[in-house]
Amino acid sequence: MSTALLQWLAFALFAAIAIAGALGMATTMSMFRSGVFLMASFVGVAGLFVLLLADLLAWLQVMMYVGGMLVMILFMVLFSHDPGGAMMSEMPGLRGPERFFSLGLRAPSHEGGGSDHGGHAMPQMDMSMTTPLRRFAVVLAALAFVALAALLLLRPAWRQLDAMPAADSAHRVGELLMGKYMAAFEGAGLLILLGIFGSVYLARPSAHPGSAARERLQAAAADAPVDVAEAGDPRELQR
Amino acid sequence: MLTHYSIAALAALLALGLALVALALAHRRSAPAPQLREAWTSYRFGYATYALIFLAFDMEMIFMYPWAVVFAELGIKAFLDMLVFIGLLLAGIAYAWGCGALRWE
Amino acid sequence: MGVGLAVLWTLLLALAGSALVAAIEPHRLGHGNEPGPAAELRTLPWRRSRRPDRWLHGAAPVVALIALAWAVLILPFGRELIGADLGIGLFYFLVVVDILLLAVALGGWGADTADAVECCYRVIAQLVAYVVPLGLAVIGPAMMARSLSTVDIVEAQARAGLWYVVAQPLGFALFVAAGLMQSYRAPFLEPFAQRLQQAMLASYAPPLRALWRVALSGLLFVVAAMGATLFLGGYAGPWLPGWAWMLLKTLAMIVLMLGLGRCFALRSSAQMLALSWKLLIPLGLLNVLVVGALILLGVGQGAFR
Repeated sequence: MSTALLQWLAFALFAAIAIAGALGMATTMSMFRSGVFLMASFVGVAGLFVLLLADLLAWLQVMMYVGGMLVMILFMVLFSHDPGGAMMSEMPGLRGPERFFSLGLRAPSHEGGGSDHGGHAMPQMDMSMTTPLRRFAVVLAALAFVALAALLLLRPAWRQLDAMPAADSAHRVGELLMGKYMAAFEGAGLLILLGIFGSVYLARPSAHPGSAARERLQAAAADAPVDVAEAGDPRELQR
Repeated sequence: MLTHYSIAALAALLALGLALVALALAHRRSAPAPQLREAWTSYRFGYATYALIFLAFDMEMIFMYPWAVVFAELGIKAFLDMLVFIGLLLAGIAYAWGCGALRWE
Repeated sequence: MGVGLAVLWTLLLALAGSALVAAIEPHRLGHGNEPGPAAELRTLPWRRSRRPDRWLHGAAPVVALIALAWAVLILPFGRELIGADLGIGLFYFLVVVDILLLAVALGGWGADTADAVECCYRVIAQLVAYVVPLGLAVIGPAMMARSLSTVDIVEAQARAGLWYVVAQPLGFALFVAAGLMQSYRAPFLEPFAQRLQQAMLASYAPPLRALWRVALSGLLFVVAAMGATLFLGGYAGPWLPGWAWMLLKTLAMIVLMLGLGRCFALRSSAQMLALSWKLLIPLGLLNVLVVGALILLGVGQGAFR
C-alpha cells in the first residue's frame, strides 16, 4: 500500500473517531460515558495533528484532555443524579444515536425484572429523552456544516507552501515561546494564577458555614483517612 | 516521524488484538449470578480543590516542556523568564495553602 | 529496526517486563508484606453487579494494554534497540502512563459495585497527586540533555560522563516518590487497598485478570526503566552490552523503589494528596530552578562543548 493511501486511511479513521466521539458525547445517557467520548473525540483530533507532523501538539492535546476530562467527570458525578446513566437508559423512549450510545448500560432483561428506580420515578419527572427542539437542532447543525464546507471549498486560492513542517516540534515551539510569544507565556502563567485564586476563593471553607451535612462529613473524614485496610464506606454491600 | 507513529499504531493494533482474544475467552465463561448492588450515585469526594488546582498545573506543565529543551541554548534570559513563571505558581500554591484549601474534606 | 520487528519487540518487551516485576514483587497477602496490586488474582471469586457498564468495563483492560505497549515503545535498550525513538519521547511517556491510569478508572467505574467505583475515585485522586511532581522531576534530565528523546538523554549522559542522578539528586528523589505514587505501590497503595482491589479486579473474568496483571506489573517496569534511562545513564556502560546495562539498572530501580516504599507506613489518599501538593510540588518547582542554575554553571554540559 502506498504511503499516500495509508495517510488517507489514517485521516479517515481519525476524523471518524473525532466525529463519532462528539456525537456520542452529546447523545449518550451516561455522564461518565459522555466525558469518555469527549476524550475519544480529542484523541481523534490528536491523530490528525500527528498526520500534520505536529506530534508535540498532539500529545499535549491528549494529556490535557485525559486529565481535564477525568476531573470534569468527577464533578459531574458530584452534581448529577444519575451519573451512570442507568436510570435514564432504561426509559422506553430512546431512539437513534441516543439508544446506540447508551447500549451496554441496561441490565439484561432476564436478570431481575426492571430497575429499582425506573418504576416510581417516572410519573414525577418529565424526562423526555429527546427534546422537541431536536429536529430543529439537527437542521441547524447541518446548515452550519454546509456553510463551513462552502467557505472551505469555494475559497478562491489556497496558498501552497513547499516547506515541510519542522520535525523537531519541541525545539521550534520552545524557541517561539521564548521569542515571539513571551508575553503570551507569562500571560498564561498569570491566568493560571488567577484561576487558582478563583477556585480556592470560591471553594473556601468559610463560605459555606453551618451545613449539617458538611459537619457530619467532616467528622467522618477526621478518622476515615488513616484507615487503609477497611475504608469506611457509607454504602452497604449486599453479599 | 510518521514511521515512528505507524509503529506505535501497529503496536496498539497488536495489543488490541491480544486484548480482544482475552475478551473473547472471557465471554465464553458463564458469568456468575450478580451479587453486588449497583453504585452509580451522586458521590461527594474530598479532593475537589486539589482537582481544580491540578487542572491549572497541568496547563503549566505544558509550558515548561518546550521551554526545557531550549533553555540551555538561551541562557540566563530564559532562566529569568521561568523564574517569574515558577514564582507565579508558587504564589498560587501558597495562597491555596494559606486559605486552607489543600486538605481532604 | 524495521517496522514489523519494532512492533514485535514492543509487545515482547511489555510482556517480559511485566513478568520480571511479577517475579520480584511479593505476591502473597501476608503480614507486613504489602503485595503489588495484582496479587492473588487466581483465587479471587468473580463477583459482579447486575448492571455493569459493559462498554467501559470491557474497554478498560484493552486501553490498559495499549497504553502499556505505547509506554514500552520509547524505552531505549541500545542506540538502535528501541521501539521508536520519538522526538518527544519523554513527554509522550507522561501522557501514556496517564492513559493507563484512565484505563484503571474506567474499569472501576464500569464494574458498578460500591468498592469498584470507590476505587475509580481513588485512582483519580492518585492522578491528581502524581502527575505534576512526576512532570517536574523528569524535566531536569530534559533540560540537561536539551532534548525530550530518550536516546538523546542517554547519549548526553554518556558524553558528559555524568549520570544525572549525581547532578540532580532532588529530581531523582522526586521521581522515586512520584513513581511510587503512580504505580500504586506502598506506601501509596490505597486505590488498591485489599478491599478495593478485590472489588475492581474481581468484577472481571479470569482471562481479563491476566491482562490486568500484565498491565499493572508492567507499569512499575516502565516507570523503573524510565528512571534508569533518565537518571542512571540507561544503556551506556563499559564492558557489558547496552541491553544488559539497561536491564541491570532497571532491576536496580525496581528493587530501590519497592524497598524504599516498604520503609514507610501506608498512606491514605488524603495524606498522599497533601504530601504531593505541600511538599513534592514546591520541591519540584525548586528543583527546576536549581537544575537551571546548574546548567548555567555548566554542569552536565560536557556533551555539548
